[in-house]
Amino acid sequence: MGLLYGVSGVVNFSHGDFISLGMFLCLALYSALSLDPYVSVFITVPVMMALGTLVFRFLIRPMIGHQFLMIVQLTLGLSLVLQNGILMVFGGQPARTPSVVESKLMILGEVVLRVPHVIAFGVSFALAIGLFLMLRSTDFGRSIRAVHQNAHAAALMGVDVGRVQVLTFALGIGILAIAAALLLPGTPIQPTQGLRYTVITLLVVVLGGMTNFVGIMLGGLVIGISEAFGTIYLSNTLGALMPYVIFVLIMLFRPQGLTWSSSR
Amino acid sequence: MLEIENLVAGYGGVEVLRDVSVKLSAGEIVGLLGANNAGKTTLINALSGMVAPMSGRILFEGRDVTRLTPRQRVELGIVQVPEGRLVFPEMSVRENLQLGGINARAKPNRSRQMEAVFDLFPRLKERLSQDAGTLSGGEQQMLAIGRGLMAEAKLLMLDEPSLGLSPLFIKYIFDIVDRLQAEGLTILLVEQNLMLTLRHAERCYVLERGQVAIEGPSDVIQDDPRTRSAYLGL
Repeated sequence: MGLLYGVSGVVNFSHGDFISLGMFLCLALYSALSLDPYVSVFITVPVMMALGTLVFRFLIRPMIGHQFLMIVQLTLGLSLVLQNGILMVFGGQPARTPSVVESKLMILGEVVLRVPHVIAFGVSFALAIGLFLMLRSTDFGRSIRAVHQNAHAAALMGVDVGRVQVLTFALGIGILAIAAALLLPGTPIQPTQGLRYTVITLLVVVLGGMTNFVGIMLGGLVIGISEAFGTIYLSNTLGALMPYVIFVLIMLFRPQGLTWSSSR
Repeated sequence: MLEIENLVAGYGGVEVLRDVSVKLSAGEIVGLLGANNAGKTTLINALSGMVAPMSGRILFEGRDVTRLTPRQRVELGIVQVPEGRLVFPEMSVRENLQLGGINARAKPNRSRQMEAVFDLFPRLKERLSQDAGTLSGGEQQMLAIGRGLMAEAKLLMLDEPSLGLSPLFIKYIFDIVDRLQAEGLTILLVEQNLMLTLRHAERCYVLERGQVAIEGPSDVIQDDPRTRSAYLGL
């Protein structure tokens, strides 16, 4: 989300609904072909990326540079379309997608971990590192950073700014498809859940300073840990509140988020 | 090499350039002069493909490039070093240069080109890992020109290279400009600094309110009283 905002100024409010879509696609693939989500991800990723490219080209690109609120409206509308589309196809009942590793546990000394969570952590971490390396060391990554820092100058070097924007969006959606598969095992899903993911992501990204990679990583840690500790040490509902409280506190005293002077 | 025929261009429906015709031959340094807002940067941006012409044609090496995208123009060798340098502030000197050579024609030769740039600007090699935003104005100008060279330019367009530089640096940069021309590069020099341009460019065009007011060899223009009035916007 941070990358997308950096290269095109678009905040995608249908973010969570794409995750939701990914999850339901996995569900569908399970019902049709009995595929475990960890396997069907290889299908959902390209499919979602193709879908993302179409959405971006025809829906979002025409709106770039227009008023921010209009872009928000557009992606919110998209969010509704996705939610209701899923509702129409899959019905409103919460559903589960069984997975091979669903209820397995890992025991490290005194700590009990659920395997799907461990896998999710490991893959996310690897993805984050991969993304970071891509941005740092590949031409494509450099062109993304260039477009973010000065789109006019980037165009003067021959960078196809439009193409960078589409690819960044598609990449983002592909990552969401992976996230969907990671989050799926052990969680019942329903069509309206998209908003939850969007909000968490927005919190993390804004906290991290919108485009600061490390800041966003830190933001993720802050939100995740505050929620986890909140639910352990306080009651369940108060615990869920913790991330928001911490978010407000940090933004009050440090409106630029978790950035420092070398970044913007 | 470059022919601009009757170009009309502007922003948002407002004409900035009205019927501009310019010619450049290979290996020349041609100056583009004029007061602020005369249309110099608009002309350069039209050449780079950042501004779509309302009418008129641009021919490069005999080929009509009027409808080509900025990326296609860079691939043909039309490269701009923009006004104000516009280096990527949070990327290192090395990364800025690598980006300069990102177009398909220049990519295979990147390491060789980088060596050539260091040869021209040894100071850049010293500052290789430094973020471009922390460089001094003169160093940024070196970087911006180096970046343009990385793209394997055939036509290099410099927009106000002397802006904000100390006299020492200006001399250094313009010596480099002369050297580049000696090595075969064609250069379009946009400058507000009248004397500097007349000294280094063989021919000049003076733009006034979007039209070519005066054109000719530099020594002729220098003595033409109209030049000063065009310059001061009188």
